[in-house]
Amino acid sequence: MLPDVDLLLEYPYTRTTGPVLGQFLTGLRDGHLLGIRNGDEVLCPPLEYDPETAKGLDPVLVEVATEGTVTSWTWVADPTSTHPFDHPFAFALVLLDGTAHPMAHAVDAGSIDEMSTGMRVAIQFHEERTGSITDFHFVPLGRVHVRDSGDGADGAEPVTTIVQLISLNYHEPLHAHRARFAQGLLDGRFIGQRSPASGKVYVPGRGYDPLERVEMGEDDELTVADRGTVTSFTVITPIDYYCQKETKPYIRASILLDGSDSPLISVDIRNLEESDIRVGLRLQAVWRPAGERDLTGIDNRSVPLEGVIERWDPTGEPDADANKLREFTQ
Amino acid sequence: MTDHSRDVAIVAVSQTPAYGAFAGPEPVLIMRCVNDLLSRTGLERHDIDFTLAGSCDYLSGAPFAFVMNIDGVGAWPPVYESHVEMDGAWALFEAWIRLQLGDIDVALVIGSGRSSPGNNREIFALQGDPYLSAPLGLDPASMAGVQARTLLDANIATEADFAAVVERSWKAAADNPNALVRRSDTADQLLNQPHYAAPLRAHDVAPVADGAAALLIVAGDRARELCERPVWIQGIEHRIESHHPGYRDLTDSPSTRTAAAKAGADGTFDVAELMVTHSHEEIIMRRALGLTDDTVVNPSGGPLGGHPVMATGLVRVIEVASRIADGSAQRGLAHASSGACLQQNLICVLQGDD
Repeated sequence: MLPDVDLLLEYPYTRTTGPVLGQFLTGLRDGHLLGIRNGDEVLCPPLEYDPETAKGLDPVLVEVATEGTVTSWTWVADPTSTHPFDHPFAFALVLLDGTAHPMAHAVDAGSIDEMSTGMRVAIQFHEERTGSITDFHFVPLGRVHVRDSGDGADGAEPVTTIVQLISLNYHEPLHAHRARFAQGLLDGRFIGQRSPASGKVYVPGRGYDPLERVEMGEDDELTVADRGTVTSFTVITPIDYYCQKETKPYIRASILLDGSDSPLISVDIRNLEESDIRVGLRLQAVWRPAGERDLTGIDNRSVPLEGVIERWDPTGEPDADANKLREFTQ
Repeated sequence: MTDHSRDVAIVAVSQTPAYGAFAGPEPVLIMRCVNDLLSRTGLERHDIDFTLAGSCDYLSGAPFAFVMNIDGVGAWPPVYESHVEMDGAWALFEAWIRLQLGDIDVALVIGSGRSSPGNNREIFALQGDPYLSAPLGLDPASMAGVQARTLLDANIATEADFAAVVERSWKAAADNPNALVRRSDTADQLLNQPHYAAPLRAHDVAPVADGAAALLIVAGDRARELCERPVWIQGIEHRIESHHPGYRDLTDSPSTRTAAAKAGADGTFDVAELMVTHSHEEIIMRRALGLTDDTVVNPSGGPLGGHPVMATGLVRVIEVASRIADGSAQRGLAHASSGACLQQNLICVLQGDD
């Protein structure tokens, strides 16, 4: 029985703020709460437009009171990892004094018994501020800690972008067919699924035949060869991005294993140079020693083979006819 | 929209059970529905002119998961398809629009999702404003709690009313083979449970599930050829409100009122299936739609009996269509919602032949 798999999906989004939110976030960084005038009203957080008519608003922001009234709220008894506190707190709509509409934000009240509709709250700016809606939270009025002057960052460059880190955790068992494929890798063999409808062999099996729309299970499984033919390849030149580990160009190839009708795709090949690889080239998988095979990264989404296959060696056989491999090019 | 050039009907529907955790790939869920639809109608895969799917890649945590989902439709012949990163009910809307163009007659509509691997509350917090809301992790369940309290403060409803919605939904879900929840607690028992997103309790939040739903819509006379009793789409429309909850009247659903008016949702309905993912929403929706006791609301148990995220709205359409197709109802209303606090609402009016 293979263990459940965990996946952390994480990447940053960088967004420009535009003129109005940029001023608002710059204000937060510098310890000021700013709103925008819409006729006789003040909107906070500011919008770029009139919410009724969509008419553009003059992007001149004004200081807003840092005290307000809770107009509705809920109590988060069991915060998630993306909430602003790891202890129970309230999310609330807070109507800041002198503004026209409430804003949604967090209130650190200590206890649900402290919360009520109509209660007065005030902004607690954080010591560390970056120009984000998370630079502050609300507390019951009278509980604001003495804070710095709020002018520490004045004079710094205005905030024009925000970076939002998407960070999500997934946890699930391997699907049954994927678990058998993974166990096969530990045992040093590739397990495929033969369609009961068409006879075509899929490696790895997906648990179904996507052409004939039939489900496939253990009875449809067989072992295919650990040697095959390059049907396509690319050389990837790394560019810099979040968590990028690659520094040099490397090869990703599609390999049609003997006895299979669907190539393994995106196979990582490090022991060949670009000049060594071509469509039709015959390759033999060289397995890592049995005790050293590692299924890290193999989940229900993808099957990186680097943990179980040490390298792919040319077999020395004559190349396969590239023209006959065209349907597998991907 | 009620003005349309072509009459379009639902000729077959299919849905998987709402699974707490489905131990297989999402395309299998879709494949089961597609094969079911084809065998019911006698259509072949190549008879489908257009395929439209609603799903969310964040649920499965795999970029382009929606592309892999097309495996469930059958990868050959090539699929003429489109996708919405929304509930399948919005896929129905787009497919209906597509059939209005007049050059094709048959569309397959799908909604699907596997929520079990991820954390729904964290994922759907990302649906909020990326500058002002998402960084706070402001999630739909919390926002639902905020909205529910506005009903209490305005003396529109009580926590006992929320519990009554759950009790009634679970009672109805007991007769629904596709429901996830198999409980029969009384409202009094429910009120003894602790709060989850006060004033909401855990049972006030629809239990997320894995599942898929699909249906076939067909234009004109071909619909009559393909089934005994086509379910005609009389009107379908959706409207959205501000993404800033503070700019909305959370005790009401003006977007529902507008969508319902545009969809021709006047007069009486034998049945209404409402996408109530938090119990208090049923109270808001009944008021916004002006539903009376003449209308049976959520006879399937609704989402509170099982919430296959991204299919739940389409399931509402299917539950109404099924009752019209079997003759137990003549006219019905289906509702789907998206976003926090019923931000966006779709209304679909369905009717059988006289």
